[in-house]
Amino acid sequence: MMLDFAFKSIMRQKSRAILTTLGILIGIAAVVALGSIAEGIDSAVQSGLELSAGKITVIEKDSGFFGFFGELTDEDIESIRSVSGIKDMVPVLIYVENIQPFQGPENQVIGIEPGKGEYFLGENIKYEEGRGIEDGESGVAVIGSAIARKYNLAVGDFWTVKNEDFEIVGILEETGIQDIDKSIIVPFDDLRDALDTDTFQMIYVVPEDVKDTEAIAEEIEDANENLDALTTKELARQAGRLVEQIRGFNFAIGAVAAFVGGLGVMNTMIMSVLERRREIGVMKAIGATNRKILSQILAESALISLIGGVGGVVLGIGGALVLSGMFAGVTPVVTPSLALTGLAFALFLGLAGGYYPARKAAKLDPVEALRYE
Amino acid sequence: MKPIIEVRNVKKCYGKEQGLECETEVLKGISLQIERGSFVSIMGPSGSGKTTLLDIMGALLRPTSGEVLIDGVKLSSLDDNGLARIRGKKIGFVFQQYNLIASLTATENVELPMRIMGMGKENARRRAVSLLRSVGLGHRLENRPSQLSGGEQQRVAIARALANEPEIILGDEPTGNLDTKTGESILGILKKLNKNKGYTIVLVTHDPRIAGYSDKVIKIRDGRIISG
Repeated sequence: MMLDFAFKSIMRQKSRAILTTLGILIGIAAVVALGSIAEGIDSAVQSGLELSAGKITVIEKDSGFFGFFGELTDEDIESIRSVSGIKDMVPVLIYVENIQPFQGPENQVIGIEPGKGEYFLGENIKYEEGRGIEDGESGVAVIGSAIARKYNLAVGDFWTVKNEDFEIVGILEETGIQDIDKSIIVPFDDLRDALDTDTFQMIYVVPEDVKDTEAIAEEIEDANENLDALTTKELARQAGRLVEQIRGFNFAIGAVAAFVGGLGVMNTMIMSVLERRREIGVMKAIGATNRKILSQILAESALISLIGGVGGVVLGIGGALVLSGMFAGVTPVVTPSLALTGLAFALFLGLAGGYYPARKAAKLDPVEALRYE
Repeated sequence: MKPIIEVRNVKKCYGKEQGLECETEVLKGISLQIERGSFVSIMGPSGSGKTTLLDIMGALLRPTSGEVLIDGVKLSSLDDNGLARIRGKKIGFVFQQYNLIASLTATENVELPMRIMGMGKENARRRAVSLLRSVGLGHRLENRPSQLSGGEQQRVAIARALANEPEIILGDEPTGNLDTKTGESILGILKKLNKNKGYTIVLVTHDPRIAGYSDKVIKIRDGRIISG
């Protein structure tokens, strides 16, 4: 295989090569971008699941999973009071500020009962500066590290929600979980007043005995059929299903990309072989075996596709960053294996699309090819 | 000494391969021997079958019947890859249309047969440059065919034919597209290669001037040898 000559052959029809490369590039970019979102959701879910271990998350039935929740009222809390084995019930109010196109929410304000912040933040949360909100406190806030950095805030500064000022008493250490790093935690009642609302988005239910978690969740759903009571297991199942759906979607896009990109390569290589019949005849006359011709044409199509593949991986990473804004709290993750899969896929497309024309070229009769006008 | 090319009662029919009757019999039983180190011209009018004969001697085309031996090897015993290797090692072709690869420079065109036979890029390049210098194209190494005159292109083609140190050079009307003076300089180069380096040269032509350079002229008409 003579890669330098293969490259020269491709470059002879620059615009055609670029267009073919683009076909592959776009397909691979779609695969990588969507794949990285799926990976990102997967890792967000994993860290989210760790936080929700040992408690039940109650939300409005069939309401969303990421960022968009339905609404609950005090009546919903009352309706599940009859369920036995519950140690604690903590309503959570989520207020999303400044949704930016393509960037998602800039930050989210979480209203939770003072002293119970760990239900949202997890038990192991540490403070970079200051402290948590204590029982009975009001008018104070704890902010995530990303918020502190972005707005250059320190303990003693204020955060304002709808004209209500909250004094910052603590700044959290960076967790890597966007839901936490981009959050402002304030007392539940304060946020309710500020927003002038009767509703909230979820309730954390803490069972007396962790072993009863699944049973209590079922009882909650029985007691109020407008509620979904999600346990870690259920959350994992739901999230797993979502990730699988995204992967399936990704696969479908990939299949379409494969078909279109592969056809593009095939078309280009068929044209190229037709135009170069005489040259192929010459190569045969000067000693090239059928196998040599086959591998040379395959090298050309693989090269076109690989260039498209490399571009596609780069564009896919960029695309993933843009897409991530649309999924609140998800940081796209481009794993080396995802990038390699993108490249391998591109190579496969090149070889599959190039095989037919390469075989045609290899089988050309040297005398006919040489005299071809 | 055994001949380097031996053609034994070769016939070529078109149409017969597809299981049909012989529609056109281009060669009607040709036998000839080409001695090592000789300069032979095969002459005949168009349609006489001379190019088909050259293609068969060059292992590009299989005869319908009869046998061709190159340096004692029966071509009928070889598969397509075997024929390709014989072409690569033993034979250098020079065509009327030069048949250089348009996207490659003169040097790369000459490198090509060596690279095909597996030689490394550096060695192939060194030899290509020295071959191009030997045909007087030391100043045209990086030019593409479109930037070269017909005579220069044919000299590149001769350098390419010599790349793998073949024993035989087969030329199909190598002066056919050149003016008289350029054609003579090409013939001069071929004659020198024959005389000084011992290459066996077989040219197919209807250019009578070539006869003057040849040790032997074979005349062919309607698929048969009429003299030589």
